[in-house]
Amino acid sequence: MARDYDHLFKLLIIGDSGVGKSSLLLRFSDNTFTGSYITTIGVDFKIKTVNINGQKVKLQIWDTAGQERFRTITSTYYRGTHGVIVVYDVTNGESFANVKRWLHEIEQNCDLVNKVLVGNKNDTPERKVVLTEDAQRFADTMNIQLFETSAKDNINVEEMFMAITRLVLRSKLDMQERQNDRTQNDTVNLRKTNKQGRKKCC
Amino acid sequence: MNQQNRNSSDLTDQSDLPITRQHIAQGQTAINRESMLKYQLKLREPEYTQTQEFTVFIGTWNVNGQPPSVSLRSWLSADEDPPDVYAVGFQEIDLSKEAFLFNDTPREAEWNKQVLDGVHPKAKYRCVALIRLVGMQLAVMVNIQHYPHVSNISYDTVGTGLLGKMGNKGGVAIRLQLHNTTLCFVNCHLAAHVEEFERRNQDYKDINARMNFKRSPLAIKDHEQVYWLGDLNYRITDLTTTQVKTLLARNEMTTLLKADQLNQQKERGNVLLDYTEADIKFPPTYKYDLNSDTFDTSEKARPPAWTDRILWRGKGIHLVGYRSHMELKISDHKPVSAIFKSEISVVDQSKFRKIHEDLLKKMDKHENEYLPHVTIDQMEIIYDLVKFREPQTREITIANTGMVPAEFEFIKKLEETSYCKEWLRIIPYCGNINPGDKCDVKLIVNLESDLDKIYDILVLHLKGGKDMFITVSGECLKSSFTLPMSLLSRINMPILRLSKEQLVQAEKGNVLYSVPREIWLLIDHLYRHGLKTRELFESSALHEELIKIRDWLDNGSLDPIPGSVQATAESLLLFLSYTKDPVIPYNLHESCIAAASNFQNCRQIIVNKVPDLHRNVFLYICMFLQEFLKYSNDNGYDAKTLASLFGDILLRDVDRNAKPQANRGKANFVYNFLVNDLSSSIVPPK
Repeated sequence: MARDYDHLFKLLIIGDSGVGKSSLLLRFSDNTFTGSYITTIGVDFKIKTVNINGQKVKLQIWDTAGQERFRTITSTYYRGTHGVIVVYDVTNGESFANVKRWLHEIEQNCDLVNKVLVGNKNDTPERKVVLTEDAQRFADTMNIQLFETSAKDNINVEEMFMAITRLVLRSKLDMQERQNDRTQNDTVNLRKTNKQGRKKCC
Repeated sequence: MNQQNRNSSDLTDQSDLPITRQHIAQGQTAINRESMLKYQLKLREPEYTQTQEFTVFIGTWNVNGQPPSVSLRSWLSADEDPPDVYAVGFQEIDLSKEAFLFNDTPREAEWNKQVLDGVHPKAKYRCVALIRLVGMQLAVMVNIQHYPHVSNISYDTVGTGLLGKMGNKGGVAIRLQLHNTTLCFVNCHLAAHVEEFERRNQDYKDINARMNFKRSPLAIKDHEQVYWLGDLNYRITDLTTTQVKTLLARNEMTTLLKADQLNQQKERGNVLLDYTEADIKFPPTYKYDLNSDTFDTSEKARPPAWTDRILWRGKGIHLVGYRSHMELKISDHKPVSAIFKSEISVVDQSKFRKIHEDLLKKMDKHENEYLPHVTIDQMEIIYDLVKFREPQTREITIANTGMVPAEFEFIKKLEETSYCKEWLRIIPYCGNINPGDKCDVKLIVNLESDLDKIYDILVLHLKGGKDMFITVSGECLKSSFTLPMSLLSRINMPILRLSKEQLVQAEKGNVLYSVPREIWLLIDHLYRHGLKTRELFESSALHEELIKIRDWLDNGSLDPIPGSVQATAESLLLFLSYTKDPVIPYNLHESCIAAASNFQNCRQIIVNKVPDLHRNVFLYICMFLQEFLKYSNDNGYDAKTLASLFGDILLRDVDRNAKPQANRGKANFVYNFLVNDLSSSIVPPK
């Protein structure tokens, strides 16, 4: 069957319970927001196709349960993931403190993966407790791009998803390029070693 | 039912994409997005395209095998403004046998060079494709600025000559897409001779039927614009050469054109049915004396004819000129050309992108909507106090709230062997629910081991969709049935009378009994009341009776053991089947079986290998059974029957759920202790 996309990527959204992972996905995929909170008990995904520099990228975005008790199960869904979105709630300091644990979780379960850090619920300044500077400093030390978003007010959501998609796409293209280089190098190297080997052996 | 119908029609109405819900509900969940996208883009083409007029020059010339010795400029550049597209066809560029037999001729390159030299000097052109079959050659060129917008170029040739397939007659064609419009150019050379018009009709049909463009499913007629050119070879009938010449001299074109075979055959629907030709205002293009404008003066003196023609088919093609070119005299034919203003659909890239993205968005939406979706009425199940072998059932309802059938299955988590723990059963654990339907799933907990509490997260997987987590949990009540005998022998009261702390302390405490209290109580009861009971160990007691005996043992009571004596017997068997460790430790089973034929060897194992407590229990039971056998006449049991019954329990398998299968070796082992004197086996306490 012909494909209507050039690339297919799996993205994963993780973070503490209640930070707005499902809301971010719903905002991005359906451009909707519902104020009522329904905790995710399981893992769910949505499809979204985006255009990056004329390339059609189909995203399968997985939304995971954030509750502690599901952590061992949800970690099994990290397999085959190309990009991870780590979300905290800017009005909840603990959720930010837990980001380290989530990053550790990624390290445990993924080989090489692109990440972004997302501070959601960035729409009520008086309730904000995780300061942008602190988050930015942390993001810098971890070498991750930081986005402060609001799924409710639709701030920065599209930008964030596009950014992680761009990262993932660039990684793939870089890898393909490296692989091509290597194949070419290998051919050359092979000949070289053959010659050297023969000298040593005989 | 009504509700559902209404919903489904609502959905179809709202839908922007022509996917019926029925279609999907029949299980065709995978939408072929690629073809859907193509279809939708075609439907919305007017929104992102605008027509732009392109000047199209079509030329045809039968060169009668002559080499290209003259400039073609007077033919190809006859107009003031440069055309955007050229399609130039020749016939008979080479009449040699080599060309005919091997389809190879130097004339191809020569004529093509002549064409490239002859195109309009006010523009630069690039050849899109050049195709030739024997003497038929066709080149399509575009103004170089349009070249990036040419795509899907393909071509083919069809021979209809000798044997119906040779290339001395037939057609060659080039198809392409210019911006968003599909174009096809066909150059043909049909059968010769005045009387062969039916053959010409057939050639035309064959060309259409057999032209097969690679990488394109379109036939000639499927293109939005078709330009048909060539030496069609239709003649003027029923008029002598003299008559034709006279009518020409009088300029009575209408009379002449009525006698034209192509016009006649076309009118009858035999050829080029949907094609249009402009009014012919030029003299017949055949047959001239070479290097002259004089009609054939040879002996044959063939009547002049309009053999060389250009027709078209499709929307938005406006003819500007249709003429012959008398100044090119090297052939017995004159070249013909037609110039068109043709409407080409040009894509507005920014509008296209927007619509394309819009469609992708809609298809994403559909794909998301058509993912299986169910809701479960409870995601967290907490059982009442879970007791040994007292099953509890909870029911969850899975409702298909999506638009497609949902195939569900409880799946095992990574690193687990089953989709649920051994204390749970899920019925059914997989199934298929149609949209709008529900499925009740029973979750039955049955505790058969020593656990403080049960806890598990079940993963309910929807095929092609999400996973949901259902948590099951409950506190468990201790029971003597599942505790190790070593602990029971250190407790001198019903175990539920002890607090958790006392239980922990008891583990480290002194051995108080040589056999666990519970075993003693059960056997003592059987000894008092069951020695003469027939089928003592065979009747299946009521479940409630067994529960009462369990509670009596675990809670303690001043009342006698409740229930029938058979229930007590079954409780004993249950007790021995569930204690944390079997009476004869697993690691000794093999040597027991090996020793089974010799009592002394068996005795050695019991005396030297089996731990004290276990030996005591074993011998205690065997002694009771020996006593029991004294009443064989009453209870109907013999030693062999008891040995095989108790062999499987005293040396029970690791896997309790394995099919009960009497093991002769185990039975023989136990048999030894039912028919021999056991006093020598008893080891005095240290």
